[in-house]
Amino acid sequence: MIIRNHLPALYFAVCIAHPAFAGSDDVNFSRDILPLLSNNCFSCHGPDEANRESGLRLDKPDSAKAKLESGHVAIIPGDSADSELFRRLISTDADIQMPPHDSGKSLNKSQIALIQKWIDGGAEWSGHWAFQPPVRPVVPAAVEDWQQHNPIDNFIHAKLKTRNLSPESPAAKETLIRRATLDLTGLPATIPQVDAYLADASEQAFERVVDRLLDSQKYGEHMGRIWLDAARYGDTHGLHLDNERSIWPYRDWVISAFNSNQPFDQFTVEQIAGDLLPDPTLRQQVATGFNRCNVTTSEGGSIDDEYYMRYAVDRVETTSTVWLGLTAGCAACHDHKFDPLTQKEFYQLFSYYFSLTEKAMDGNALLPPPAVKVPTGTQLADKQKYTQQLADTDQQIAAILADFKYVDPKPTEPLGELSSEEFVWIDDNTPPGAMLAGDGTPPWQFVEGPDHPVHSGTRSHTRTGAGLNQHFFTAATEPLVVGENSKLFAWVFIDPNNKPKTLQLQFNDGSWEHRATWGDDLAFAAGQDSETNRGMGPLPEAGAWARLEVNAEKVGLQPGAKINGWAFTQFDGTVHWDNAGIISESLSTEQKRSQFAWEQFRKSVKAPTLSEAIQKSLDIESATRTDEQNQQIATYFLQHVHPDSQTLLAEPLQQKTKLQQQLDDIEKAIPSTLVMQDLPEPRQAYVLERGQYTEKREAVSSAVPTWLAPPVPNAPENRLGLAQWLVQSEHPLTSRVTVNRFWQQFLGTGLVKTSEDFGLQGEQPSHPELLDWLAVDFVESGWDVKHFLKQIMMSATYQQSSNVNPEKVAIDPDNRLLARGPRFRLDAEVIRDQALAVSGLLIETIGGKSVKPYQPAGLWKPVGFGGSNTATFVQDKGDKLFRRSMYTFWKRTVPPPAMATFDAPDRETCQVRRARTNTPLQALVLLNDVQYVEAARKFAEQVMMNGGTEPGARVVYAFRSVLSRLPTETEQQSLSNLYEEYLSGFRGDPEAATKLLAAGESSRNEELDSPELAAWSMVTHVLLNLSETVTRE
Amino acid sequence: MTHPIRESELIETRRHFFGRAATGIGSAALASLMNPTLFADSPAPVPGGIGGLAGLPHFAAKAKRVIYLFMSGAPSQLDMWDYKPGMKDWYDKDLPDSVRNGQRITTMTSGQKRFPIAPSIFKFNQHGDNGTHVSELLPHTAKMIDDLAVIKTVHTEAINHDPAITYIQTGSQLPGRPSTGAWFSYGLGSMNQNLPAFVVLHSTVNGGFGGQALYSRLWGSGFLSTRHQGVSLRSSGDPVLFLSNPDGMTVPMRRRMLDELSKLNQERFDAVGDPEIQSRIAQYEMAYRMQTSVPELTDISGESKETLEMYGPDVSKPGTFAANCLLARRMAERGVRFTQVFIRQWDQHGNLPNDIRRQCGIIDQPCYALVQDLKQRGMLEDTLVIWGGEFGRTIYCQGGLTKENYGRDHHPRCYTKWMAGAGIKGGTVYGKTDEFSYNIEENPVHIHDLNATILQQLGVDHERLTYRHQGRDFRLTDVHGKVVTGILS
Repeated sequence: MIIRNHLPALYFAVCIAHPAFAGSDDVNFSRDILPLLSNNCFSCHGPDEANRESGLRLDKPDSAKAKLESGHVAIIPGDSADSELFRRLISTDADIQMPPHDSGKSLNKSQIALIQKWIDGGAEWSGHWAFQPPVRPVVPAAVEDWQQHNPIDNFIHAKLKTRNLSPESPAAKETLIRRATLDLTGLPATIPQVDAYLADASEQAFERVVDRLLDSQKYGEHMGRIWLDAARYGDTHGLHLDNERSIWPYRDWVISAFNSNQPFDQFTVEQIAGDLLPDPTLRQQVATGFNRCNVTTSEGGSIDDEYYMRYAVDRVETTSTVWLGLTAGCAACHDHKFDPLTQKEFYQLFSYYFSLTEKAMDGNALLPPPAVKVPTGTQLADKQKYTQQLADTDQQIAAILADFKYVDPKPTEPLGELSSEEFVWIDDNTPPGAMLAGDGTPPWQFVEGPDHPVHSGTRSHTRTGAGLNQHFFTAATEPLVVGENSKLFAWVFIDPNNKPKTLQLQFNDGSWEHRATWGDDLAFAAGQDSETNRGMGPLPEAGAWARLEVNAEKVGLQPGAKINGWAFTQFDGTVHWDNAGIISESLSTEQKRSQFAWEQFRKSVKAPTLSEAIQKSLDIESATRTDEQNQQIATYFLQHVHPDSQTLLAEPLQQKTKLQQQLDDIEKAIPSTLVMQDLPEPRQAYVLERGQYTEKREAVSSAVPTWLAPPVPNAPENRLGLAQWLVQSEHPLTSRVTVNRFWQQFLGTGLVKTSEDFGLQGEQPSHPELLDWLAVDFVESGWDVKHFLKQIMMSATYQQSSNVNPEKVAIDPDNRLLARGPRFRLDAEVIRDQALAVSGLLIETIGGKSVKPYQPAGLWKPVGFGGSNTATFVQDKGDKLFRRSMYTFWKRTVPPPAMATFDAPDRETCQVRRARTNTPLQALVLLNDVQYVEAARKFAEQVMMNGGTEPGARVVYAFRSVLSRLPTETEQQSLSNLYEEYLSGFRGDPEAATKLLAAGESSRNEELDSPELAAWSMVTHVLLNLSETVTRE
Repeated sequence: MTHPIRESELIETRRHFFGRAATGIGSAALASLMNPTLFADSPAPVPGGIGGLAGLPHFAAKAKRVIYLFMSGAPSQLDMWDYKPGMKDWYDKDLPDSVRNGQRITTMTSGQKRFPIAPSIFKFNQHGDNGTHVSELLPHTAKMIDDLAVIKTVHTEAINHDPAITYIQTGSQLPGRPSTGAWFSYGLGSMNQNLPAFVVLHSTVNGGFGGQALYSRLWGSGFLSTRHQGVSLRSSGDPVLFLSNPDGMTVPMRRRMLDELSKLNQERFDAVGDPEIQSRIAQYEMAYRMQTSVPELTDISGESKETLEMYGPDVSKPGTFAANCLLARRMAERGVRFTQVFIRQWDQHGNLPNDIRRQCGIIDQPCYALVQDLKQRGMLEDTLVIWGGEFGRTIYCQGGLTKENYGRDHHPRCYTKWMAGAGIKGGTVYGKTDEFSYNIEENPVHIHDLNATILQQLGVDHERLTYRHQGRDFRLTDVHGKVVTGILS
């Protein structure tokens, strides 16, 4: 007997029956019955073995029809009355009734009737539709008198016919070109483009438009921007400090992949496993950034193992959502409750992503490894040029040295006393390249004598603060190199009237874990007397300059360490700092004339500046060195040590330094991007009980769920094998899920509405045969995306009018059957880009580092972590204010507000379907955000300069710029009136006009009359706010 | 109509700007504007709610609204609430291994050679009918102890700020789920059509911001519609983003523009029949009303001297915790469903005594004032006030330990929060921790239990407020949560 369960009521009964899909009289198991069983029964009687009640399993026919321990049989084909399942569905006895009352689930009468009909009809079983490979279905016969352009229309029309609906007539040409241009490029059609299309009376007119748009570079930007939601692309790490990360070359790769129409299977393989392809190109490595877009942390105190686990889980969930349309994440904790994915299979997928060389803690770094450099063409050419010049210079040096004829004056004399050399790094200025930071504004306060104590030069830097506070820099371009017995020093002056409790110097060689503390141990890393924080004793005397000094090795800086950053930290008090640097031992000038002396010195005091090769040669006894090694050492000595030969070489050496610097600058300017790379030996993955990283169970290795699609023969057991499995032609999901997402993009809703879930809990497709036809066609076309999109756009279904007909609404409220063209609000980015385009502000450069256009002050600060490099928003200037929105810097913990208001996701997790809300906050953005006020006034300039001289003509120009169509007579009239009214208003209040025309940072065309321009700005601002403007009709 | 003066100004400046000739159209537009159904910026909340789910509340609600005072960074329960007098004798002695029992600790202290016990240096006195011990740090809060239910055994699994605060706010340690306030907005809707249902306030500390980061996901809508996300009410610049008209645009100019927009949109609706257009017309009118209702909300000039004094001197400085507490009360009056006030800088790994004195000095009086203010207005009985952070702090010292100074690391295994109002049994002390405030001895309250209880007071069965996403019915409390009946009256 079926025992009542006591599980908490997790799932709410939702009736999935949709009016649009009803119709067929036959009971279809996969369409009608399986969703009911899944939704109401599988929680306790499904694939999840651990939570299965009474041994009854309803997701498999054998067990559903087998005799249970209790002696009952849940389903007896042909006999609903004796089927225990049916008896319990109709029972009113609370002890017997199924689903149990406290589960919160229930079936309605028609659903129960469906089940009865199915059992009585033989209880035929089939698998879930989405797990069977698609087969190209027969295209339905054309409905007479309706226009079919391609098979899409046959499928759509056949269904419409069964519901007594008919398609709409084609949309007006103006509507159509605006629709197509927005859909394919995310930008509005220009007036000349519209005119050209209107003038083209040929049958191919629209096809020409589509071809032109598919060839436009803006197509790749638009398609790429949508893909980046799925890739969860952002410009910051997302967790805790939310520091900047550099992965935009991946974003640019996506754009170019769409523009070059890379076949979708290849697009897939390169993103999942580009690095594992044979001899991967740089581009293929960059593509793997897809799986480095996940959020990462470096929060102090975090435990590595927990995050290795979380990153891998995120990658499985994302891969699964994007390519499989499955909610694999459920199986991280237990066997999937609805789909046949076991927990073990989840961790087999997890294993593919568990062996990266990445560290669990991202170090809050711009480029947490693995990363690759991605030089531009110019950078590569310059690099080649300078490298050649460097070789020429080296030859010149060699020639001079050949003439120098050096003989060691003291070839046997033991090394005498050494002198000490002090190198001051921070004095009146910080070293080149230093990025200054710290508490307060500005973080570094330089002050001059005589009002302030100064130790050397003309100024010192000072700080007053309560509690722990500091100023520091990082990223010095010429690092301070630590040698043997080096000491780091800084001069300090403590204000006798406001003494600090603690002074601390911190040094950065890539990490800040090198600290020396004087006074009470209250500074960062307090209480840890180790090289990360060395206690140095009491504070120096107040009221006088004192020198703080610490042995580099004592704070964990070994010879060779390169210091690029330095922090001056204090707890309370007022402190002046001056003259800081390093002391190292060195030879006297006389000693430098002897190669032997120098060699002795370098053997005892290893110089970190020496290349490894030189140092290696030096370590060999001179007698046993090869000629080549001796030559190498002698050359080095004359070039870099001997004072006389160095004088002779002054000019070429200077040239050499310059060239090296130029090469270095290029090297630094070359952008880098995060990529995937596996450990040489895979990290062992385990099934994790309840998804807890500490609860390891069975060891598993990488494998695909073969019940979905067979493994690819000879595929490697790594991500490449996974990618190949996803794109094999028999895969039931990849092609369906992909075409469905494109359909959603162009027709507003997917054929499967839940484009992220094709599993048993997902919605049934509105047109299953069409979905399969499209999926098969897509694969057979060679996964040709442009071909696929063109097919959609050329269909009569796409091209029909989107006007809403109330009678149709009554039958199909959500327009799932497409008895009219879809209409929906534009995406956040498109709304902004459209305003920039029509106002002439848009900068069309493709790619590059992300930019920071306008956003209201004070958004990052109130929530940002003080030490984060994205805690303070610094707005960009000039062209960067007007780039397409996909290039806007995406800080994930505070996404750009105007984008978020229009439903852009936060990009913390993968998202394949955006919401489309309609809210008052959106109205406020379009009415008041400076971006739109400025766009309106620049748009007005366009209107005045290009729209003719008569107000009437100008209204037409403005109207067509945004909406492509001509205004109606009333629209024309009321906008003209509006203009006249505002004009007379501004004539009487010219100051208001001046203020309004000052919005934004772009310059104003001063030749245009101010009240007129202001009045036109009001008209254009109205146009930018129209419902039609933010809608793709 | 609450702003007759503003409206007559509107007419006057309209005449000034557009001149007599234009008053024909202007007046017509104004007439529609005067229509009370179009311009209902009354502060009176709408009973029930607008736009919530059918069938909600599930049962009679004790609370109509919630004010959540969130102490980001995790305040020390040991120095404020969880009185452990016995620890004095344990000064600088090692925490027994049997207490820690191998439980994981953060990597900030896991490398420490010792775990020396740092007894609180603060005095605790008994207050209220039950003689509840409260630290000297909280003299004002102590006065209202009989209004509060103090829960000493809240616990969580997360040991670091980002996952922990994400967890308590969204029910999951990972980004992607809706926040508590978004769930309320989704389930119960709004009580005032001119103000958002869910408002977030950030508090300054000594005039600046700092401390552990906050993330927009903490008030985000996750997979729910973005209309449910919390709206930040800012203390500088526009209180609500993009609220103010641009420079040079007067109210009548804006009104004229909106009239035109509305007319053109209506015309398009007549042509194409898309109901979204009508909805957009309404949203623009609501935006216009928010331009009045929000400034009215933040304008505290009408508050009595007594009220202002109760909140303390900071109340007149926008952005302070005191000012935010007063705003929270004003929002409660106007039907904002969920107000969350954040204050940061509780993350006291070192120099705890000084820092916690500063923090308590900031929050103590306003917390007291808020609860009393609500009480005096008869609103405490249907307003739920919650105080607390994302986890607690360790009995053992992080960094150097002296008699006067110490620091404490993160401690997820027990910490203190309090609740008041709306069916909460005042004067309750719930749950008991061991002598080290390290493990729970009686009545553990998981953060899911806490969230279940908050929902319960709003008339929501936490197991039945669900949203289907990716084929699964998600809840704020995931698959956990038990209502803490012991603190309910």
